[in-house]
Amino acid sequence: MVDPQPTRSGPGRVLIAVYGLFALAATSRAVVQLITDFHEAPLAYLLSAFSGLVYILATISLALGNRTGRGLAWATIGTELVGVLAVGTASVLAPKDFPRATVWSVYGIGYGFVPLVLPFIGLFWLWRTRSRVDQPGRQPGR
Amino acid sequence: MIAWLSCPVIGIAVVAAIWGVVSAVRGRPPGNAQFYWSFLTELAVIVQSVVGFVSIGRGHGPAETATSIGYLAGIVVLMPAAIWWGISDRSRYSGLVMTIAGVAVAVMSLRLLELWNG
Repeated sequence: MVDPQPTRSGPGRVLIAVYGLFALAATSRAVVQLITDFHEAPLAYLLSAFSGLVYILATISLALGNRTGRGLAWATIGTELVGVLAVGTASVLAPKDFPRATVWSVYGIGYGFVPLVLPFIGLFWLWRTRSRVDQPGRQPGR
Repeated sequence: MIAWLSCPVIGIAVVAAIWGVVSAVRGRPPGNAQFYWSFLTELAVIVQSVVGFVSIGRGHGPAETATSIGYLAGIVVLMPAAIWWGISDRSRYSGLVMTIAGVAVAVMSLRLLELWNG
């Protein structure tokens, strides 16, 4: 049984940086929205706060890089993927319910669609660095 | 008022971003000159934020005050984080982290411009 490669090694560091950036962006956006005019669009603003929390947890779990972090990363990045697809679709089908944008609105159009691509890269990276029984002594990042 | 300030910031940050890609492609950790450029980027960002805060304080800020304050405050932490990263991790990937910081600084400065010109 080969231990999984730490998620924070090599290109994983770049992934953590991007997640950290989105944690900062989504959380500060949510804080501003919740403080200034929560009553205007409670659903959108709570979704903003939720997405911020997801990005924070994903950043921490990828940075931990151990078995616990890996499990948490699968859960949070999976949630992120479901979130961006669900909120993206809902904001396209029922724009009236999303009067104010969140990070995930229209699949992250306000952020160059990075929020849509990021979970796929994250899940791929988790899969790529998973533990493998069949290749003892393989080179990391083969 | 902030246009004459934000445009140079965007230019400097874009150069920092491209520099990061170049160093990563060459397979090298960020070099000294690259760090100096990152410091210059941060210096420009700090000047932009100070001027922005002063202008908000004097009542010349954009309508979306809270958002502007968020951007002006958030933008100053990006480059130091990337620089710290580049010092602690001497791999080619640190260059890409600087690229991410550079792109983020450029995009946030662009948003600040949009806010200010409302």
